[in-house]
Amino acid sequence: MGNLRRLVLDVLKPLDPSIVELVLFLADLEGVDGVNISINEIDRRVENVKITIEGHDLNYQNIVQTIQEHGGSVHSIDEVAAGKMLIEDVATSQD
Amino acid sequence: MDESGNQRGYFAQHINDIREYNRIAGIAEIARRYMAMNAFDGILTIIGVLMGNYLAGVRDAGIVVHTGLATSIAMGVSGFWGAYLTEAAERRRDLVELERILLTDLGQTKIGRASRVAVIIVTLVDGLAPVLAALIVLAPLFAARLIGNVLVSYALSLAVALLGLFGLGAFLGRISGRNLLGYGLRTVVAGLVAIALGFLLEGVGL
Repeated sequence: MGNLRRLVLDVLKPLDPSIVELVLFLADLEGVDGVNISINEIDRRVENVKITIEGHDLNYQNIVQTIQEHGGSVHSIDEVAAGKMLIEDVATSQD
Repeated sequence: MDESGNQRGYFAQHINDIREYNRIAGIAEIARRYMAMNAFDGILTIIGVLMGNYLAGVRDAGIVVHTGLATSIAMGVSGFWGAYLTEAAERRRDLVELERILLTDLGQTKIGRASRVAVIIVTLVDGLAPVLAALIVLAPLFAARLIGNVLVSYALSLAVALLGLFGLGAFLGRISGRNLLGYGLRTVVAGLVAIALGFLLEGVGL
């Protein structure tokens, strides 16, 4: 069913564990080919990050569970891609 | 073979978990601080017990050992209770603040577990450090029969106490990356002051 290939999540997480630790835990998950975490905003105790995950047959539940296990809270799913090939967002005249 | 392999894997997993909890909750740093502070308290308290007994004319090693043990147990209980209550309250407050910011329950996350493990480890260190330090200092009095002379046991106990203080000082010096000898001597001076004040009390007739 499906074949989830890309997930872009907006996450609020504590400063500890660091994004270095979190990215390694996410990269170890089954089906994950690569992960990128970039910082949007840093506060005194928390940071708002964008997590981009690409792979084959990504398990959304496992990914969210790993983020929550490390204290993160998924605020929104900003982009998803699934299917036989990866389709990029297409610019339209309205854009 | 498989079972022992599984046990090793289980054990290794626990060690990794504790390392991770340590990174998250900074357990080693606070445990080290408590260890040094309470071992120092333990040694100085036993110096007080030794001086009190010696100056009161107690020449029965059994009495000194009993007094020392009772004092050590009281220090241990005080350490356990005090550390548990303060550490649990501080960690809880910290976790609640983080939960309020994240709008999520962190109880079952690694952060929540790290916080609970930190309370247990710090409590154990805080309770055991003064007891172990006191028992080491009392060792020559435990062995008073072997040594044969209770005054020699008193002197050896005080020497062990001063050596222990020097060791603690050197340990603190190593942590701070400063002069081991300087730190060691500073803690020894605390012991010498306690001994000198004991003699002074006798001098003024108390």
